[in-house]
Amino acid sequence: MTFVASLLTPVRTPGGRAGLTRLGCLAAVLSTVGLLPWLSGRDPALTVLRARSAEQEATAEALAAIRADLGLDAGPLSLLGSWASGLLRGDLGTSWVSGTDVLPSVVAGLQVSLSLMGAALGVALLVTCALVAPVLVRGRGSGGAFAAMLAAVPEFLLATVALLVCGVWLGWLPTAGWQGPVYLVLPALALGVPAGGLLGRLVADALPAVLEERWVELWRGAGVHKARISAAALRRVLPPLVPQFGMVAVGLTGGAVAVETVFAVPGIGRMALGAAKSQDLPLLQGAVLALLTLGLLTGALAALVRRRLLGPALREAGLTLPAARPVRAHPAVPVALGAVLLTCIGWGLLRDPYTVNTTARLRAPSWSHPLGTDGLGRDVLARLGHGAASTVGTAAAVCLIGLLLALALGFLPSVASGASDIANALPPVIAGILVAAVVGPGTGGAALAVAVISWPALSAHAAALVQEVRASTFLTAQRAIGATPWWILTRHVLPSVAAPVTRHALLRLPGIALALASLGFLGLGAQPPAPEWGLMLDESRAYVERAPWAALAPAVALALLAALAVSAGAYAEGGATRAASVRGRFALAFAFAARRSRKEALQ
Amino acid sequence: MSSELPSMDPLLSVRDLRVSFGAVQAVRGLSFDVHEGEVLAVAGESGAGKSLTARALLGMPPRGATVTGSVRLGSDELVGAPRSARTALWGRRVALVPQDALSALSPVHRVADQLAAAVRSVDRTSRKEARARAVAALEEVGIPADQARAYPHEFSGGMRQRAVIAMAMLHQPDLVVADEPTTAQDPQTRRQMLDLLARRTGATGTALVLVTHDLDTAREHADRLLVMYAGRLVEAGPVEEVFARPRAPYTAGLLASVPGEGLGAVTYGAPPRGRGRPQAAGRFPTAPPAERLAERRRLPAIAGAPPAPTDLPPGCAFAPRCPLADATRCRTEQPEPQTHDGRTVACHRWRELPDDPAELFLESL
Amino acid sequence: MSPLLDIRELVVRHGPRTAVDHVSFTIDPGETLGLIGPSGCGKSSTAMAVLQLRRPDAGEVWFDGQELTALDERRLRPLRPALQPVFQDPYGSLSPRHKISDAIAEPLRVQGSWDRTTGPARVAELLERVGLDPAHGDRRPHELSGGQCQRAGIARALACEPKLLVLDEPVSALDPSLRAGILNLLAELQERLGLGYLFICHDMALVRHFCDRVAEMREGRLVRTTAVTSPSPPR
Repeated sequence: MTFVASLLTPVRTPGGRAGLTRLGCLAAVLSTVGLLPWLSGRDPALTVLRARSAEQEATAEALAAIRADLGLDAGPLSLLGSWASGLLRGDLGTSWVSGTDVLPSVVAGLQVSLSLMGAALGVALLVTCALVAPVLVRGRGSGGAFAAMLAAVPEFLLATVALLVCGVWLGWLPTAGWQGPVYLVLPALALGVPAGGLLGRLVADALPAVLEERWVELWRGAGVHKARISAAALRRVLPPLVPQFGMVAVGLTGGAVAVETVFAVPGIGRMALGAAKSQDLPLLQGAVLALLTLGLLTGALAALVRRRLLGPALREAGLTLPAARPVRAHPAVPVALGAVLLTCIGWGLLRDPYTVNTTARLRAPSWSHPLGTDGLGRDVLARLGHGAASTVGTAAAVCLIGLLLALALGFLPSVASGASDIANALPPVIAGILVAAVVGPGTGGAALAVAVISWPALSAHAAALVQEVRASTFLTAQRAIGATPWWILTRHVLPSVAAPVTRHALLRLPGIALALASLGFLGLGAQPPAPEWGLMLDESRAYVERAPWAALAPAVALALLAALAVSAGAYAEGGATRAASVRGRFALAFAFAARRSRKEALQ
Repeated sequence: MSSELPSMDPLLSVRDLRVSFGAVQAVRGLSFDVHEGEVLAVAGESGAGKSLTARALLGMPPRGATVTGSVRLGSDELVGAPRSARTALWGRRVALVPQDALSALSPVHRVADQLAAAVRSVDRTSRKEARARAVAALEEVGIPADQARAYPHEFSGGMRQRAVIAMAMLHQPDLVVADEPTTAQDPQTRRQMLDLLARRTGATGTALVLVTHDLDTAREHADRLLVMYAGRLVEAGPVEEVFARPRAPYTAGLLASVPGEGLGAVTYGAPPRGRGRPQAAGRFPTAPPAERLAERRRLPAIAGAPPAPTDLPPGCAFAPRCPLADATRCRTEQPEPQTHDGRTVACHRWRELPDDPAELFLESL
Repeated sequence: MSPLLDIRELVVRHGPRTAVDHVSFTIDPGETLGLIGPSGCGKSSTAMAVLQLRRPDAGEVWFDGQELTALDERRLRPLRPALQPVFQDPYGSLSPRHKISDAIAEPLRVQGSWDRTTGPARVAELLERVGLDPAHGDRRPHELSGGQCQRAGIARALACEPKLLVLDEPVSALDPSLRAGILNLLAELQERLGLGYLFICHDMALVRHFCDRVAEMREGRLVRTTAVTSPSPPR
């Protein structure tokens, strides 16, 4: 409908400015990495001194000598300059701790990580095929919820469980080290299964809608075989999804940190984490730079593959996928999950999480300790309950900040889309490492890292909604009746945007809590003795054979949280569709023809 | 309808067709025949069940739909047949021209390849031969061979429409079902596409079922017309006869409410010259105010709106909107289709419809 | 009698393309001008420019004795209610989040003429005038049929007490059995309120029936304006 389309003219095309934002964000991230020694604020000279010679007295002269040695006294700009020029020469500096060149260690770590990621990608592809095949055979969405579950399980949780089950209890596979292909199996599984779940979910969600596109009807009616139609549908689905596949590959770099840590794999991720913890900033700079480059290269590769898949003739076609039909979920599932979690948390909150009782260490579950005790004799249920308050409470604060930012920035779509590109290339763990290196590990730093990563998605959503509302006919009608811009903004645009974006923010809450937990697990978030779920899981790994319940409780809680995220999300999406089609209760199936034709008649 | 051509067995015979979603029936007992080479238009408003009927004719009901009754194509029964038996008919004996042919081609496949896929699926020829046949089929609808390898988005709208028709007609099926193929198009393109479709089916003796919400389309292209309302047949018969003398009040109301000939002629003035402002802004003598009265413009109109399939009235579904309906039979008892001299009508009071039914619908506003 | 709307040499450009190319026409009070032409000929761009929802690139729009293109947005706003659009998509033109009665009351609220005591009665009167039940006021657009939504859209326009309605294919998205009812309503409103109509359509028979004069557009230019005479012998 040109009448409405002409309204779109005041909305500027965001392409150019998004590119600028993208470059700006990239420069900011690189400068952050380069300035790490200066940003961290704490005197690295002390770190270095301790590492180099533990006995030496930390006299002022000794520290000054080290500062001069490191070039720290010259100020941030020259520091950045010398780092950048070293980078151009292929010199990443020397490790503060070991005094060796950074570059060879980074290269060695990268080789290990690359082979691990390669194996994980293989696993991911297998999982994807397993998830997509039933959709192609049955022609409708099926594995969606299961795939979403797989995608929602964080790598550190899966790694811990895999290590417990296959490595420790069953003793099938080695659990630590890097001495041959057998050592690859468990880490690759832990890293590849969530990625495969995500990939499979993307394809399995998109396929049913593609199979309902009109050309499928024509092909079917003209006698084309089902196998050919399935192949054609896959061919149709893949090109628009390739950028998202790139994002999955980027996510692997973040997952690698957790998985390599759990399985003691000497890869680049573990190196980065270790460097962050020991304040070995040159090594950290090198490792993070390698991870970021890996992420950006994967993104570029994905873009290349997409161009290749599309070919010159199709690039003009502006391919987009039809909106996926949401899998309808029964409200009982999220309600039940939420009730179980809330009961445990509520019960635990009434108990004391901090009292150390060395006589009651590693007790099995009993009436006085319903979930047993941990290595210091603390009540696991109490720590679970109080941990929820800190994990979920922090996540809620992060969500709120993200929501407010999104609503404010939704009116600047170019900023949101550019920033979200960079955020997509930066997994939360890497952001967490960077933040921890600057401000030190802690709940606040972890929250900041997750917030930095999570707001762009909300903003992009808000921006899309603002654009949609601005282009709608009823808004034109508002202008025609003489409404002021302020009236239109407050009465129509903001209310239309706020509700769905708030729902989106709520849906992200469990995911954000999981990201916080994974930072806690890696020691980048809450610090002991705080009862944080990720931290609890990490602590319990030491005595898991003797007290599996201590690990099981946070692991199950995290898994429940992931399931809650998935089922609540599916229910909310289904609800949105239901609300949109109240006019015919069974409109989804029945009015498929009438609605489509009306929509098209209007365009 | 079956009484029309008693000498010939119908190509397609539909008896008591019902399509339902759970407890809701969207098509509620439909019976009609289609003969070889005939063009049947199925007309109705949104929600009348015409698209579902089209899918049921092809043995392609949408997911979640339950189909009962009988659809016989020659000697093959489609309702209740296993999927493999139905797929064996697709392309060979029946084909579909889907809604809005503009988006009916896969955007990521070359046009000739799409037709070749259909050739290879049905005839198991070599890749090369399939492509040659695809190109030949496209040439038959006027798409030159050197453009056959293009992607759909490189085609104009008209060319895409022709490619869709070529694909449906590839194996010269006995029956083509076109489901509102031209909904979103302006009148000129719509006519071109339907002309081509009628020409191609006519050349091979293929029967055509043309689903439409537009009575003018039916009039221009069909031999026979079947009007549906709320999932049931309202009236059926030869197009010219139905237009000349509708029997069901619904059909009569629809025809009367469309402004057509005789309501006002246009006298053309001289077109404004050049770009300059025409004399007095092109102000031609306007009609005198008395002529502009609303009375002149008052159209016969059907009151109310079609019912939702979830909320059907008892008795005749059209009764709440029908000026002829009585308070007893029409409100309680569903009228069954009756056939008299080649015309079928489902109305209790069709004999009482006046000679000029437009009068009936002038009252309601 | 001076014309209600006098469009002079109107030009609208979309990028390099000239969508409306020096178009001039007038509409008298109580008169209906039909604007007809193939899709993409500039009908809708003309409508948006007449409504000043898309400011024209050149030309003058004289409405009720005022030149609208010379006014800035702030001074134009009080004049907007007199020029109301009725859109093609009955559902899209009403906010999905608001009740029908709120949508109809909104022009009154925007103009500050809403009164808690008399307002609801005014809304009920408008609902009745367009042939809707008072009960329809409590529903939201998706709970109504297309025809009912279109009536609600007309009621909102009437709440502005307009002098000119720009009807952009007001019936082409509706089911055939609902179209005549809407057209009759528009004809009756014109007769009672003396509104001028700019009626955009691509159905010649409908335009001949509904309009006093017909303007034909091709590729952005007005190619001919003709008067519809009536009554006339059947063709």
